[in-house]
Amino acid sequence: MNSSNKYWKGIDELQESQDFVTSNVNEFAEGLPLEKIFSNDDSTRANRRDFLKYFGFSLGAVTLAACNKTPVQNAIPYIVKPDNVTPGVPLYYASSSISNGEGFPLLVKVREGRPIKFEPNKEATYFGGGLDGLAHSSILSLYDTNRLRGPMKAGDKSPQKWADFDKEVVTALNNVGGKSIAIVTPTNTSLVLDQAIADFKTKYANTETVAYEPISYSGITRANQKAFGKAVIPAYDFSKAEVIVSFGADFLGTWISPMKFQSDYAKNRVPKDGKMSKHYQFESLMSLTGANADSRLPMKMSKVGNYLEALYAALNGNKPKIELAGNAIQQAANDLLNAKGRSLVVCGSNDENDQMLVNSINIMLGNYGSAIDITNHYKGQSADENEFNAFVSKAKSGAYGAVIFVGCNPLYSSASALEAVAKIPTRITTAITMDETATQSTHVATDLHPLESWDIKQPYAGRYIFAQPTISPVFEGRASVSSLLAWAGGDIADKDGFTHQYNYTKNVFASQIGGDFNAAVEKGFIENVLALTVPSFSGNANESIAAISSRKAADNELILYQKVGVRDGSFGNTPWVHEMPDPVSKVTWDNYLSVSMPDAKANKWEDGDIMKVTANTVTVEIPMLIQPGQAKGTYGIALGYGRELPETVKNDLKDLGVNVYPMAGTSANYVIAGAKIEKVGSGHEFAQTQTHYSIEGRDIVREASLNAYKNDKKAGNSFHKPQPISLWSSHDYSKGHHWGMSIDLNSCTGCSACIVSCSIENNVPIVGRDEIRRRREMHWLRIDRYYSFEVPESKDLEMSIVNGGDQSLQAGDYITQEKVMEEYSSVTNSSDYYQNVKVIHQPMLCQHCDNAPCETVCPVLATTHSSEGLNQMTYNRCIGTKYCGNNCPYKVRRFNWFRYNENEKFDYHFANDLGKMVINPDVTVRSRGVMEKCSFCVQRVQSAKLTAKRENRKMETDEFTVACAQTCPSNAIVFGDMNDPNSEISKLYKDERAYHVIEEIGTRPSIKYLTKIRNKQESTNQKAH
Amino acid sequence: MYQAEIRQPLVTGGKTYSDVTEDICRPIENKPTSSWWLGFTIAAICLFVLVGTLAWTVWEGLGTWNVNKSVMWGWDITNFVFWVGIGHAGTLISAILLLFRQKWRMSINRSAEAMTIFAVFCAAIFPLFHMGRVWLAFWALPIPNAFGSLWVNFNSPLLWDVFAISTYLSVSLVFWYLGLIPDIATVRDRATTKARKFWYGFFAMGWNGSAKSWGRYEVVALILAGISTPLVLSVHTIVSMDFATSVIPGWHTTIFPPYFVAGAIFSGFGMVLTLLLIARHVMNYQDYITTEHLEAMTKVILLTGSIVGLAYITEFVIAAYSGYEYEQYAFANRMFGPYAWAYWTMMFCNLVAPQVFWSKWARTTPWFIFIISIVVNIGMWFERFVIIVTSLHRDFLPSSWVMYHASWVEVGIFLGTFGLFFTCFFLFAKFLPVINMSEVKTIIKDKE
Repeated sequence: MNSSNKYWKGIDELQESQDFVTSNVNEFAEGLPLEKIFSNDDSTRANRRDFLKYFGFSLGAVTLAACNKTPVQNAIPYIVKPDNVTPGVPLYYASSSISNGEGFPLLVKVREGRPIKFEPNKEATYFGGGLDGLAHSSILSLYDTNRLRGPMKAGDKSPQKWADFDKEVVTALNNVGGKSIAIVTPTNTSLVLDQAIADFKTKYANTETVAYEPISYSGITRANQKAFGKAVIPAYDFSKAEVIVSFGADFLGTWISPMKFQSDYAKNRVPKDGKMSKHYQFESLMSLTGANADSRLPMKMSKVGNYLEALYAALNGNKPKIELAGNAIQQAANDLLNAKGRSLVVCGSNDENDQMLVNSINIMLGNYGSAIDITNHYKGQSADENEFNAFVSKAKSGAYGAVIFVGCNPLYSSASALEAVAKIPTRITTAITMDETATQSTHVATDLHPLESWDIKQPYAGRYIFAQPTISPVFEGRASVSSLLAWAGGDIADKDGFTHQYNYTKNVFASQIGGDFNAAVEKGFIENVLALTVPSFSGNANESIAAISSRKAADNELILYQKVGVRDGSFGNTPWVHEMPDPVSKVTWDNYLSVSMPDAKANKWEDGDIMKVTANTVTVEIPMLIQPGQAKGTYGIALGYGRELPETVKNDLKDLGVNVYPMAGTSANYVIAGAKIEKVGSGHEFAQTQTHYSIEGRDIVREASLNAYKNDKKAGNSFHKPQPISLWSSHDYSKGHHWGMSIDLNSCTGCSACIVSCSIENNVPIVGRDEIRRRREMHWLRIDRYYSFEVPESKDLEMSIVNGGDQSLQAGDYITQEKVMEEYSSVTNSSDYYQNVKVIHQPMLCQHCDNAPCETVCPVLATTHSSEGLNQMTYNRCIGTKYCGNNCPYKVRRFNWFRYNENEKFDYHFANDLGKMVINPDVTVRSRGVMEKCSFCVQRVQSAKLTAKRENRKMETDEFTVACAQTCPSNAIVFGDMNDPNSEISKLYKDERAYHVIEEIGTRPSIKYLTKIRNKQESTNQKAH
Repeated sequence: MYQAEIRQPLVTGGKTYSDVTEDICRPIENKPTSSWWLGFTIAAICLFVLVGTLAWTVWEGLGTWNVNKSVMWGWDITNFVFWVGIGHAGTLISAILLLFRQKWRMSINRSAEAMTIFAVFCAAIFPLFHMGRVWLAFWALPIPNAFGSLWVNFNSPLLWDVFAISTYLSVSLVFWYLGLIPDIATVRDRATTKARKFWYGFFAMGWNGSAKSWGRYEVVALILAGISTPLVLSVHTIVSMDFATSVIPGWHTTIFPPYFVAGAIFSGFGMVLTLLLIARHVMNYQDYITTEHLEAMTKVILLTGSIVGLAYITEFVIAAYSGYEYEQYAFANRMFGPYAWAYWTMMFCNLVAPQVFWSKWARTTPWFIFIISIVVNIGMWFERFVIIVTSLHRDFLPSSWVMYHASWVEVGIFLGTFGLFFTCFFLFAKFLPVINMSEVKTIIKDKE
């Protein structure tokens, strides 16, 4: 239809009146008021005064606005988006742990090209699927501002060019003048480095290799050499042991490969069908392993040989020569004999004869081929110190023209080496920071960080682990493998668009393993193991017994041990290992002389006294700490402290603790008889996250004996307090998800891996020693540790009403109350019973209560409840009244007392641009003055929900988990959807052992704990109140 | 005026109307004395300490205090409750005693009310600055906003505090100012300088002393007294609910509202006595603030002190009777734990010390009353400290048990609030009549 319709705007237009036509010619039909504007009438114009007013205001406003300097921030988008990299979506690469030099499989979480977290590789079931605190903390070494920027010569202030550097090194290596070249490495499990050294040797035939480990297990390797003809550390499988007897081996915390041992150990610790393993621990110091034992008995480590002999005798049906309280040795022997082939005896001594006895015992019990695998043996940490000692004496005599230290730091831990190495004219180190060895070197060939490198490791014979780079090199480093080959005259240029290190690694793979390299790297590990065999035993127990009986006894002994966080000290420059409290003493940021209560009482020493300790002609001054559970006459100091870090380190890592490696001497003797100890001062304040060690008889932790549990699955957990009437109507979770958590006190060892995993996932700041002294650690998750003490003799105590009234204590009872302990001590005039201690660990985090006391008291609704059962914290809304923190019965809320990021007073990784790269972009970095707490990893919850939604499907059962549960080596923490009937959490919630902590106040938490069952002959000692 | 034969006169010394005006206007119209300058200087220095420590707190963060992960409230809220408590006597004297027609209140109500207002100022500092982000304090007010559907939480006792304190402050301020108007007019009328005439004229709001004005004045005063009376009870009741509605053993107690109100009146009278005894001595007001006044106030102290003491004992008995281990431990810990010294200080100061007022000599001997009034002030500070800190430092899970000791910043802020208080009080004593002239004139027997 033709548009013949016509619309008009007015009657004038319709009629086309004359006026309309003339005026319509102009653009503005009614004309403009130009005359009025240009007239002198002031009413319509801005006059001079107004102008000045506006001008003045504008000037003022602009000036004020200009005072606020807007920081320039650059967000640079990808010009060409790399394949698979989508901003906001993490990528996971299978790789190897960097804190375990021998190799340990894990996944590296990478966001926008930055590795931000380690997660366990759950497919590598042999290794257990957990990580420890040290493994998590070690990621900070990638973003350490003290990393070297490029190759350096001694005295250089700035890095050199690689070409010039290489020229110098090659000249030096060629001019050794008939002397040898030494390459010092840690116990080498890397196939790539092996090959590189071999290639190096073809150029420099005068090369010797020396393996060095700061912590020696030579007692085991030498005994195995004698007994089986193989100088190796066997592979242990604690999951095959129903009876475990450990003589001072802290296998859950520090001994050999605790991450794997924990997972294996935990498998038998949950009493399914009324069965669980039985664990005896005989030890001097209070270790994490001892804390988890069913029967823990204090003994002197210097007498460990005698106890082993006693056990050996008992197993042979003879009466043991010496015994521990309650005939523990005989009992252990009986239990072991009942579990032949299903048991394991281990010993933490580094003495060949002790270990030979252990081997004899295990052979007698038939544990080889089940719990002990010497065929597919462990390959890490097996360096013998004699090899290094030989190197040192040769170096002293001037036999070496050059030395190359590859990825090790012996000049920190070996006091004897320092002087000797100085005699070698050319000292080359491949390192990533200026460590103690690098500072003594003539040439520092800056290495690539392990997260920037390719590698193939073989931690166990037949088990290979692949490491791949997850970030482009941050600085001008070069892989040590490439450096060795460059010096040997090899061509290390990139080829086909791949780095030399990649090509070289691939070639090593093709020649030594074979198969699909890409598939292997993607999976992260290859297992190609042999069937377990029982080796032929050629050891002689009687020789060892004779050697042991010739030992001299001393009044006291000093034990050099490792801490769960710091271990040998190699990662002592990463702050999380220090901020993580020691699982037993709860001390952060220090090492100390650990003293037993009877010794402290007898000498009138107190916590924080400064002691002068002399052992092996080495003297140190160190503060002391009383450690319940420690055997009388024994003292302990942790190794791994006293690192000499670069001068640029200004935070608490500087001058941290005392280095006691020199005490161990060249023979790696960690138990020193007859140490001289005297008090020289007092007043050191430890930064402890928990200072009250008794549970005060409160019904917070529930426990029962295995026998009671067999009779009644509700043992120890039969009484539930009546829930008070609630003012609030309960939440309706019938639709959607309902998140919950269960924590099994039986499998939790207290290792504290979850603390570091949680902190790194959730950007929890490091606050340092001083702030922890003020009790302001920021951990969202903590592990409470309580002691209770066994009463050696029956006593009636007269106590005041307020302290619980008169009590009658029977021998064998456990005291949990501070006042009762004090009274008992004064009545019996003894504190020996402090040695016989029972320990419990309880992870404590936000309980996400349905009736949360924190939620009602916040004046601004900054903490609220979600429809999925989460107790949420809105940081933006928080004004910081801290009322919620006060009203939290679990005391899990943490307040930002200071601004912890970009603050030079908290000069850790949050304070510099490099360190900040480890921040998880999914989690807000909290500002000063707001409250924070566990969020049940809400970012993971949301991400999993969104993924399912985007893929248009229902969320799968246990599709994801939270950071603490994910990393737990013993699988004690389980998180999931309680609305999903198939989820693990729904099953665990119905477990007879499940209970809520302080349920009587009616908070209705979303976390249930599972009663601790101890494999011990006794009834429940926790009475229901 | 009729004078009962068995009662002592409320104002002694045979004062005439003219004497009253002269006596009370003297400090205002003369140059300040050297003792005034000394006191004012010390107070002003303390005020600077307050400004400095608060600025440092805001600049650095709450970390400059020593509160920690378990004891998140320490000296701050202790001081808050302490100062709010002190602020109770003023309204009680001016409102409740007005309704009960207690004429002896007339010579002390002005300064008691002033004290109330200054104390509430001091108190308000603490809930404000104990916030991690004080610059966002206005978020605690239910004001319409552009942040989306954000609103305050009416379940939170802290919000109730906001309303209670602000209401109390505004009503007290109006009441006080209203009472001042006739006296300000007197000063205006006697003014000799232009500035004085202007300012006092401005604040007298055109008071002309007509019968109609007086009539309205009386009615408004009575209405305000009626409004204030429930406030005397409500403010500290609500403050006590900060604790009573929580779950923390030692806080979660239904006895708190009456116990806190009695404590507040107790501490308020303690402070009124402290101040009046000084003012009386320095300004020679013995004829206006007679021993009769002192005796009446010491009786109030005796009564409320005993109520508070009874509450302490009741609390303990209830805890023992409850069969609830956490509650029992909380109270045992107060008495015998690491802060036992604070508990026993409190018990001595609040329960034992005021019992001396059973003796007539104690009630009428000013220097002795002064000592006891200081003891009462100390005791009441410790009461709040005991309630707040000893409950928090050891609550449910022994793993989180801690000790708490104030930092120099917290001490400085507390000291500083005394600076603020006394600076205000010295300025008040210099520029405003500290005794209500117009009311006092109704209770003297002028022969003229």
